[in-house]
Amino acid sequence: MPNASKSLLSYGLPALVLIVAIALFPSLAPNPYILSSGVIVLNWAVLATAWNFVGGFTGYISLGHGALAGLGGYATGLLITKADLPSFGALIVAAVLVAALAVPIGYAALRVRGASFVIVSIALVLILLLVFQSWSSVTGGSRGLVVPRPFPGMLRPDHHRAFFFLYGGLLLLALATWWLLDRSRFGMGLKAIREDEDKAESLGTPTFAYKLTVFVVSAAFTALAGGLYALWFGDLDPVFQFSVLTGSYIVLMALLGGVRNLYGPVLGAIVVGVALEYFKVEFGNSPLHLVTTGLLLGLVVMFMPDGVIPSLTALVKRLRNREDSSIREVTAADLAEQRREREAAKS
Amino acid sequence: MLVFQSVILGLLLGGLYALLAAGLTLYFGIMRVVMIAHSAFLILAAYLAWWTNDRLGIDPLLSLVVTVPLFFGAGVLLQRGLLSRLRPATLTMMSVLITFAIALMIEGLLGYAFSGTQRRIQLGYGTASFDLFGARVAVVKLIAFALAAVSLAALYTLMKRTQFGWALRATIQHRDAARLVGIDTERTAGYGFGLGLATAAVGGTALSLDTTIYPSLHWHWIGPLMAIIVVGGLGSVPGAAAAALLLGLAQSLLQIPMGATWAQTVFYVALFATLAVRPQGFFGGRLAQRF
Repeated sequence: MPNASKSLLSYGLPALVLIVAIALFPSLAPNPYILSSGVIVLNWAVLATAWNFVGGFTGYISLGHGALAGLGGYATGLLITKADLPSFGALIVAAVLVAALAVPIGYAALRVRGASFVIVSIALVLILLLVFQSWSSVTGGSRGLVVPRPFPGMLRPDHHRAFFFLYGGLLLLALATWWLLDRSRFGMGLKAIREDEDKAESLGTPTFAYKLTVFVVSAAFTALAGGLYALWFGDLDPVFQFSVLTGSYIVLMALLGGVRNLYGPVLGAIVVGVALEYFKVEFGNSPLHLVTTGLLLGLVVMFMPDGVIPSLTALVKRLRNREDSSIREVTAADLAEQRREREAAKS
Repeated sequence: MLVFQSVILGLLLGGLYALLAAGLTLYFGIMRVVMIAHSAFLILAAYLAWWTNDRLGIDPLLSLVVTVPLFFGAGVLLQRGLLSRLRPATLTMMSVLITFAIALMIEGLLGYAFSGTQRRIQLGYGTASFDLFGARVAVVKLIAFALAAVSLAALYTLMKRTQFGWALRATIQHRDAARLVGIDTERTAGYGFGLGLATAAVGGTALSLDTTIYPSLHWHWIGPLMAIIVVGGLGSVPGAAAAALLLGLAQSLLQIPMGATWAQTVFYVALFATLAVRPQGFFGGRLAQRF
């Protein structure tokens, strides 16, 4: 069965590589600093994969997922400090709360097409920054919020290692969920929305309910990543938690890797995340970060809107000169062309 | 008396919002593009005005002579060079990312060129003010309002009375039909973008007169502006103007009991309420129905 072997090759093998890499990285990392960078990159990978539930399936681009992560972080921190919940209990409750909050947000954002979703997603970041900075009696304002460590007494390298594995588990869970959705009827409906929302609706797909559901799922995973970050880093500042940059990094990662591919966002997160860490060490925080991010985002959107993986696969395919491709990936004009060629070959 | 003062200030601020939102809604009308970089260009113009005053010692208003044509050209280039090259199927989403990327680049370059320090123009008439029925009105605020009002009136006249305006409105209403009656929609769309960006040049100069500017200030503007065009109905210029005056007034009045920071939330509350109750906006906004 060529189909099964292809599916094993494109899903199973990378999964195996990823699992082995996650299992081995902490013991291979030469020092705790590298390990902590690994935790940050995995955090990006989870965020980008969570983003891809909305961005990849439905084609709706959110620039506000950074705010959902920040909200998850703050909810976790506040539940521990104000409500005395155990650390990981707080993490789960926080994710549920953010998912619940995503329902009204999604309701406002997704009732109409496209543009208002993006507007709401950016507005979400701006309003949350405003609220969390001003409401200092609860959130600590600009002084920040200190989140107690979940494992007291653990040494710093062990702490990093524990969180590396926690993030690794969360990433695998997110990837497995994406994979399952991708194969499901629900996922098919979502992809129909991406391709042509009018047609999907006229064929009986409950587009609004589907979009809202997947947005809530995405928000829950994003909040889990944000909450884990709060537990790991231990200190939250609204300026960083509710920064438009976080959202734009996530979009850059997902687009660069390729939003239609299960592993695209992970690949993008590794490339961009490592680059971010490297430039932070080499150049510190300079305004040129913004310029580079903007330039990269612009280049990806203009020249590689489908990401690296599809671009490379297309290249390989062209080199191998094979033409087996699903209907979704070719236009009607291409199909007509192929039909003409076949008939020309026959006669 | 405090309330009257706030009403005056709110209307003056609303005038500036109206001009900027008109530009933003114009882009949306022309290409269904949410132009995130609009406010970044606004701050860029404000910086250019400040720089003109700081280096050359001339009145910042004179910088308009350079920035308006410059921004018009930049708008045409942006539309012809970047936005019109995107795939139509994903245009709305990808154009947001492109303009977002441009906003980041402008913010970064401003920070690089002028550092993150807060800047403010020192003007001879900067502190002058006069009494209007007991309310104190700063002269610079009045100049800013007058500038916005004149530009908005010019924009309105251009759209209603000139042949180019008709072509532009036809392009906005129905692109294919406009092309059928012989309008070069591509070029018209480009010039429309130029006009939109020219409003940012005027607005930025007006803003620089009495505001402390810094590179990341544009995020404080794009949120309210986006809220205004959604409340006004995406693509409707009169709707944007009405919503701008209304929300500017609301913000100014709410500042009395809530303080400056919380008063800003009125824009976001209005945005969410509009989308939840009446997604096509409250004024006109026939276009927004499908988007």
